[in-house]
Amino acid sequence: MTPNLPPVTITGIGSVSPYGPLAGLIPQSSLERPLEPSPITAWTSAGPRRAFLVQPFRPASVVPGLKTRRLDRLSAWALVASSLAIQDAGIDLSQVDRSRVAVVFATAFGCVELTEAFYLSAAANGWNGTDPTTFPETLASAPPSHVSLFHGLRGPNVTVSNKDFAGESALIQAASLLRHGQADLAIVLAGDALAQTLYSWYEAAGLLSPACYKSGPLPEAGGFIPSEGVAALVVESSGRRNVRPNVRPYARIGSGRWAAGGQPAEIIRQMLGGAVPSLTVCSGNGAPCATSSTTALAREISGDGAVIIPPQPFAGGLAGTGALFHLILALSSRPISGQALLLGTAGDSGFAALLLELP
Amino acid sequence: MTDIHKTIVVTGVGVVSPYGIGMGCLQAGMLSGESCLEPTRDVYPGFEGTTAQVRELAPLEELSSSRYSRTDRLATVAAQDAMANSGYDSSTFRDSGIVMANTVGGLTEIDTGIAEDPAAWYRRPGSLLRGASYPFAHVADAVGEHFGIRGPRCAISVACASGAMAIALAANMLLDEAAPIMLVGGSDPLCPFTLSGFNSLRALDPKPCSPFDQNRNGLNLGEGSAVLILETLASATARNAKVLAVLRGWAMTNDAFHTTAPEKQGSGLADCIKLSMEMAEVSGDEIGYVNAHGTGTPLNDIAEANAYETAFRGRSRPIPVSSTKSYFGHCLGAAGALEAAITIMAVRAGALLPTLRLADPIDSPGVDWLRGKVKRQPLPLAMSVSSGFGGSNTVLIFGSGRS
Repeated sequence: MTPNLPPVTITGIGSVSPYGPLAGLIPQSSLERPLEPSPITAWTSAGPRRAFLVQPFRPASVVPGLKTRRLDRLSAWALVASSLAIQDAGIDLSQVDRSRVAVVFATAFGCVELTEAFYLSAAANGWNGTDPTTFPETLASAPPSHVSLFHGLRGPNVTVSNKDFAGESALIQAASLLRHGQADLAIVLAGDALAQTLYSWYEAAGLLSPACYKSGPLPEAGGFIPSEGVAALVVESSGRRNVRPNVRPYARIGSGRWAAGGQPAEIIRQMLGGAVPSLTVCSGNGAPCATSSTTALAREISGDGAVIIPPQPFAGGLAGTGALFHLILALSSRPISGQALLLGTAGDSGFAALLLELP
Repeated sequence: MTDIHKTIVVTGVGVVSPYGIGMGCLQAGMLSGESCLEPTRDVYPGFEGTTAQVRELAPLEELSSSRYSRTDRLATVAAQDAMANSGYDSSTFRDSGIVMANTVGGLTEIDTGIAEDPAAWYRRPGSLLRGASYPFAHVADAVGEHFGIRGPRCAISVACASGAMAIALAANMLLDEAAPIMLVGGSDPLCPFTLSGFNSLRALDPKPCSPFDQNRNGLNLGEGSAVLILETLASATARNAKVLAVLRGWAMTNDAFHTTAPEKQGSGLADCIKLSMEMAEVSGDEIGYVNAHGTGTPLNDIAEANAYETAFRGRSRPIPVSSTKSYFGHCLGAAGALEAAITIMAVRAGALLPTLRLADPIDSPGVDWLRGKVKRQPLPLAMSVSSGFGGSNTVLIFGSGRS
């Protein structure tokens, strides 16, 4: 992202997570006690299994008029989270040119629950007897399509992914759309739903934390706890935000970089252009070495005096799509201001960094 | 005056298509009017229909930590072909970015057993790696890791507009200086999952499709991949790269109308076409050819015809349009990238490709439905149009390198 382009501003937050469906930041009362993984009941397994799960709720009780009966959980959460973010931003969509509103969605696994269902229909009925209503909903781009359809948003509708930095790349792509005048406002969404095929893969690969098998204090290391949820941010071009009174800017996005290799410290310093962020929000994705490598890189860039918020277990359980939740949790956890770096690493194989200005 | 730092050019094109590997066989096949669509029975038991398949895709040497799905292999071979086409080896592209579109991901490596008993399925030899190739992001990683390319990687999945949208977003990334060069494209294979899905929707024409015909009866699926090398004109000039075409304009919109059906008047697509022409600073009269989305389904083709009527209203003569899906079917997430490559080929060769099997075109007075023989004429500017489930539209405008 070219540093001298005008910044864009995050003006609304919505989420569906183990904290429930929420508009705005996560309340202190919810953050005061550590989030614990819940027992999985959606499928049977050889013994108890646990994860950070979204508890069932009725979407129409959160967003009146919302019909989600035919949708999978991921699409329903995207609709709820986007609605809550728009509400939090104080935007009346009837007053907005909706051809200028983009939707950018980051997902690692897309609509995996319906992909499982489609396979099961093929197993039961043969490939010539699969369910036509399920097939289009298996597309990874189905959730943002529903968001555009529900809200009548006719700007670019993009679904992105990246093994480690899908959330960050969605935010950077959205900012790019605004900066190039391809939209005035963007709804950025990131998240996934946990399905049996995914959990079983993590288990077979030996990636799960002991906390997935028994309750108790969360261990510091030794695997990760899968999680699920969707975070939504409203991002506006600064020019547009300036004409709306009483807008609460959560953060301005100054510049961003991500890469699959190279010299992260050197590239990020070049991106910062001399700025030294006083705070780093780590956005590791739950890989066992993410915490240490991200923290080390943060210290290399900002020095020993910088405040570092380590990766949070719940957000770290979203493989590659946790960045928005890492940011929301950081903004919710303490009053912070000044320049901050949203920083993720994936061992030696890449990084993502966004420079944020916090009011 | 051209700003060479903001002018996006194409300096390499690689393709894997049912014609084979490379632009040479694609161009020879299409200019001779050869159709790759053929009767198919082997994709899954009980399927009878028409598809276009890539034959003899040689296996790639795999990294120990990874397994390439067919989607990965198509993309990697296309990327290799693009780099060869540009005249440079992979070391030139070490810091490049990669944007790869697809819809199928690693579904080619998975079977119904994964949903029936996942734990048992993963105990099968090699299944963990097969499962790891499932996410659609894996394709960008496969290309990057195979060639040691370490710039930003991004995967795009926006149904049938994926490949074109990847090109639009990669162009944005170049303007953002996210990477000096972008390898961008799309890849999708035939697999039981998607073929069954389109079959269940009754969207498949059992015979070779006839887009834009009054008697069209659905689409055929194909497979393939295309990868373009994009960079700024400043970058291309600095490294003395050959400019194959200029990406003059791009735009993305959404219909916000229905999860699978296009809006009948094609207004979202018409808006997208107009936005792309605004960006390119060209009028409808200057566009010499439109490579249409043209799936051959009843709903798509009529919406698309209406979009052309709206977007090119006021043009002095009908806009020449064809669907090259009539040659090797609909390649889903790869379609937009393959059709971008075909559009570039049309511009460079000065060749307006006809729609095959178009006997009785949709009544649309503002459109010159190309059929019959290839028309040869100078083609300074051409447009590639893509749409997809969920209402996404993307339009790209290519100009000759000479312009």
